[in-house]
Amino acid sequence: MSAIRVMVVDDSPFSRTLLAEALTQGGCEVVGEAESIETLIQVYDECKPDLVTMDIAMPGADGFECTKTLRLHDPAAKVILVSSMKDEETEADARHAGAVGYVQKPVEEDVLLRVIQNVMSPDKMFGNLDAWSCDIFAEVLAQNITRMTKSTAKITEQADLRKNISQGITVVIGIIGRYPGSIVFDLTQEAAEKMAEIMLRRPAKSPAEVVSVAAEFANVVGGVACSMLNRKEKSFGLRVAPPSVFQGATNEIISPMLHMHGVEADTDFGRLSLSFGFKKGTVLWM
Amino acid sequence: MDVNRINPILDAVAGTLPQLGFQTVSKKSVALGGSVLNWAGVMINIGMLGSIKGSIAIGMSTAGACRFASTMMMGMEVKELDELSQSAISEMANMVCANACTRFSQDGIEGVDISPPVLFVGEGGKVTLPVPKVISVAFMVDDIQVDIHIGLHE
Repeated sequence: MSAIRVMVVDDSPFSRTLLAEALTQGGCEVVGEAESIETLIQVYDECKPDLVTMDIAMPGADGFECTKTLRLHDPAAKVILVSSMKDEETEADARHAGAVGYVQKPVEEDVLLRVIQNVMSPDKMFGNLDAWSCDIFAEVLAQNITRMTKSTAKITEQADLRKNISQGITVVIGIIGRYPGSIVFDLTQEAAEKMAEIMLRRPAKSPAEVVSVAAEFANVVGGVACSMLNRKEKSFGLRVAPPSVFQGATNEIISPMLHMHGVEADTDFGRLSLSFGFKKGTVLWM
Repeated sequence: MDVNRINPILDAVAGTLPQLGFQTVSKKSVALGGSVLNWAGVMINIGMLGSIKGSIAIGMSTAGACRFASTMMMGMEVKELDELSQSAISEMANMVCANACTRFSQDGIEGVDISPPVLFVGEGGKVTLPVPKVISVAFMVDDIQVDIHIGLHE
């Protein structure tokens, strides 16, 4: 495999030298260096690197601004920010500037190389998540139907559900983590009412109670499935956001940024549809 | 949630949309309501998680969403909310909420992150956000009404 070609952006010649040494030691090839925004684009175009390491504190335009400028010039540019500062605010700014990684100074060679390896081969880890999620969501859905409704379900998997039509009640749960994503749990009003009656051991007192039972069910399934995925790969760091519940049949449900998978459960009280997907990003933080 | 805490979101709307080609962004009304909202047309849900959490729902009419997407795509004609337009308006929602996270962080509310947008398109219905009280802010973005429903708690 050919060496990963790296461009180093830093105003300090000393830092550039240290980084270049670490990169070269690790088998990367340093193909270009820039000290400020003035030469950034020109050097980038000349050396066409696989990725760029970018200092944050530079005179004039800082690393965030340089990253934004570079990504406007080439949206595919992969930038790893390198800075002595490392706090949540700086990391969030880095993420929003479009950086794919973040390494703290003084740079430890093995940390830098691990981030580079992850940035350059994110497909494998995402592939694992994508593959594992299908089995795990199906398993957790079946388990919780049994556990919470004391009934059994026939589970079928569906692939590529980018677009879906709501049956009546749709719970949407955002996933935050290394690969953010969404969970969409959908069922008819009638199925939701029956499910609520089984779970509450009495008919629901109000439409709000039906909604809250559906939300709680989806929340448990989503939370347990994400925990299981985290156990398989700690660095996923998946967490679920509180659920929103949409009511109304025949609305289209679209997740433009995600490749959604789906499982359907045919139960005694109706069909439950669960779809989920993750965003293929390369955001990696060390 | 403290009403003052919504300012980063409102500033994110006012700060982000002009970058997408809109000339005027003005706040029309602010209302405090319950957790259940009515919607029709387009509603985008984005989950937020961190030291504050919940959902932000962004709504507009279907015709408004078409005009919105058209402006984002340099005036390209948008007759119906096709895949490209859906992607454009979800990108807008993503940008506004990501920008709000940065502003929260500047205000000392750190570690807030967002999930990818999920769009609902159609006749509509009701939506229940995961908080007892939702702050709804109507914006006029050029001639398009955009409703930002903030369902966050600390």
